[in-house]
Amino acid sequence: MTRSLALPATRRTALAMLAAATMALTACSAATSGGTDSSNGEVVVAGTYPIDSIDPDGPQGGGTGPQMAEQQIFSRLVRTKPDGSLEGDLATSWKPDSTATQWTLTLRQGVKFSDGKTLTSADVVDSFKRFIDLKGTNAANFPGYTMTATSDNEVVLKASKPDAAVPRKLAVFFVLPAGVAPNDTAFFEHPVGTGPFKLEKFSPNEIALVPNPNYYGGAPKVKRVTIRKMPELASRLTALRTGEVDVAWGIPDDQLSQVESDSNLTVKTIQSSAVFTMWFNSSTPALRNAQVRRALWEAVDFPTIIKQLYPQTGSLSDSVVSPQTLGYVAQQPVKYDPAAAKAALTAAGFDFNTKLRLQFANAEFRQFNQAVVSDLEKIGVHVDLLEKEQAVFTKDLLALNWDINFQQLSNPMLDAANTIGRLYPCAAKRNGYCNPQLDKLLSEAGASSDEQERVKLYGEATQIIWQDAVGMFPMAVKYAYAWNKRLAGFSPDPNGLPDFSHLQVRS
Amino acid sequence: MSVLVDARSGQQVAARRAHATRRWLGRIPYVVLALYAVIGGVGPLLIDYDPVHVSLDDRLLRPGSHLSTGATAWFGTDGVGRDVLAQVVYGARTSVLIGVCTVAVSCLVGVAIGTVAGYFRGWPDMVLARGIDILLAFPAILLTIVIAGAFERSVLVVVVALSATAWISFARVTRSVALSIRERAWVDAARVLGVRPVSILLRHIVPFTAGPVVALATLEFALVVLAEAGLSFLGIGLPNSAVSWGQTIANGKQYLESAWWISALPGIALSLLIINIGILGDQLTARYGRGHLR
Repeated sequence: MTRSLALPATRRTALAMLAAATMALTACSAATSGGTDSSNGEVVVAGTYPIDSIDPDGPQGGGTGPQMAEQQIFSRLVRTKPDGSLEGDLATSWKPDSTATQWTLTLRQGVKFSDGKTLTSADVVDSFKRFIDLKGTNAANFPGYTMTATSDNEVVLKASKPDAAVPRKLAVFFVLPAGVAPNDTAFFEHPVGTGPFKLEKFSPNEIALVPNPNYYGGAPKVKRVTIRKMPELASRLTALRTGEVDVAWGIPDDQLSQVESDSNLTVKTIQSSAVFTMWFNSSTPALRNAQVRRALWEAVDFPTIIKQLYPQTGSLSDSVVSPQTLGYVAQQPVKYDPAAAKAALTAAGFDFNTKLRLQFANAEFRQFNQAVVSDLEKIGVHVDLLEKEQAVFTKDLLALNWDINFQQLSNPMLDAANTIGRLYPCAAKRNGYCNPQLDKLLSEAGASSDEQERVKLYGEATQIIWQDAVGMFPMAVKYAYAWNKRLAGFSPDPNGLPDFSHLQVRS
Repeated sequence: MSVLVDARSGQQVAARRAHATRRWLGRIPYVVLALYAVIGGVGPLLIDYDPVHVSLDDRLLRPGSHLSTGATAWFGTDGVGRDVLAQVVYGARTSVLIGVCTVAVSCLVGVAIGTVAGYFRGWPDMVLARGIDILLAFPAILLTIVIAGAFERSVLVVVVALSATAWISFARVTRSVALSIRERAWVDAARVLGVRPVSILLRHIVPFTAGPVVALATLEFALVVLAEAGLSFLGIGLPNSAVSWGQTIANGKQYLESAWWISALPGIALSLLIINIGILGDQLTARYGRGHLR
């Protein structure tokens, strides 16, 4: 009798517990999907990179994540358009003097901050001083540069040496109101800016932006844009398909077909400024000879690797920089020929017992590098594939503690000065390569104020880098963006920094 | 009466049958583990696998597909076209090897420390037992991750990192055994006869720790195999040139929807091994554990 009673009792408890668990689970899922009602003009963006700070001049300010948020809140003097050309933001015109050391910029009239105050040249000059003084990552582009106000709506930027790339470099400089202290956390909790949005809420996992009614281009038409941190690819894609987020990007090819098959989503790939760059360490004895480096490049079947791993977002690169970058000149592609490569290596006296160290960071590039190592192994070149943590990778990269280095090198300024001009002179000491002839070309290109002339000089420089195989430049990268069909006015950005000011929600 | 007898004999038959079934079921873990040992030992001789060699034309093929070389990929292929079956087979060898090495090392260290602490008591016991308590208060997996993450990836580092926490349970068990054995008459007799302490430890105490230690070793083995897979999954375990179930499972993470076999099949192999070792460990504990010592 007691037995028969006891059994239902346990069963009842079990049922009660099951019900409680179900309720708890539903409550949890309701809590996570709450606030994303899709009907009221709100847009949710899946952020790939962390946004820990929105101080554009601080140590983290130059990262891709922070920069995406900063450009919604603060305006710049000039900005790059997706096609690579420049457009005025707060500046309406910019003119160099004859030597390109002094640049005069005219400011837009009648621009108001989000608190109603009018923008003046004093704000711009003060912001530039703060930008240089705080020594953030992007300030290194302006060594010893100074800015002065000549009138209420005109500023002059004085470079320390002739610099034709100033307008493009200014695309990473954000204008704040005058008088923001170096560590003014109170200001960045409620920032005042001239951008299309105002900050409503900031937390490390979520940033909420609302339209700035004072924006000179007219207030955006959405009610709110929320940038939600989602570093995991799988969670980004799931959220995109369930409608929890409206926009996501950085979708790998293997997952692209699933996203494309979803009828609620628009998928578009856009040519980015990024190029897969695989430097050889020319200071390593085994790789000192350009013949050896060139032969290693010949030994890898990049067309097949790209076709298999990046059928939609990759294409064979034909230059050191991407096609829309100023200074791009196409080069003769390096042909895949393992037999010739092996013969060239033997002729150059390459020691097949050496083990080369190939370093890279980020698991997303693992398959590509495994394929490269596999191809090199086929002609008898042994390579140690080293996947490193980002911080360790960067430290080793600067210390030249590698033989082959893989990087996805992007160039948000879309100017060859930022990659070729910065990374390949002898003094840069970034890849062990040193060529006085290249140095001369690069300093001439940096000083010239004539765009045609610069393209020509960078083209000649590219040819030397390409012929001497300072590195392999296998692939130009496209970024895949996917967004919900209910959004209108979204345009993908080649640098992973989309502008949200033209967004609209279809009813 | 005869009805009663029949009923009783019927019950006996049923009981005997149930007993026989249980005995056969009890042998399953031995069979499965033997299978793993054979696969881990002989498999790599039959199946050729080179983790460096990739075949992009054969990537993400379903189980049973034909490869470009004409062979069949019974377990499918992974994201760069490597055979998953070969990875499971080579991974079995890695897991068993690391499990055995780690358990051997931690067993040696644990038994040595445990018996010394238990036999000598006094201040050695005080120092060692408190040290063990402090280490126990530390989350084991965290300590392992810190050690494995601090050094360059290699088999030796993984074994050391896993042994760093695995010896503790051996030390605790042997210490308690030694504490009770040292009071036994034959130990007293040996001491009175002037046998050196080291000989007493080796001849009169250590042999009695064998039962519980063997039972514990099987359980630890399962935990170690699981922890190694976990470390490799996190990317701080074995180097890329080694084949590990944890790495294969991690590689398939992004293909869970489109190519389930990359993560699922090595995952099943891992779970089967762990479950069977667990059952075997329970059986051994029931037979040779602490309770059966006296």
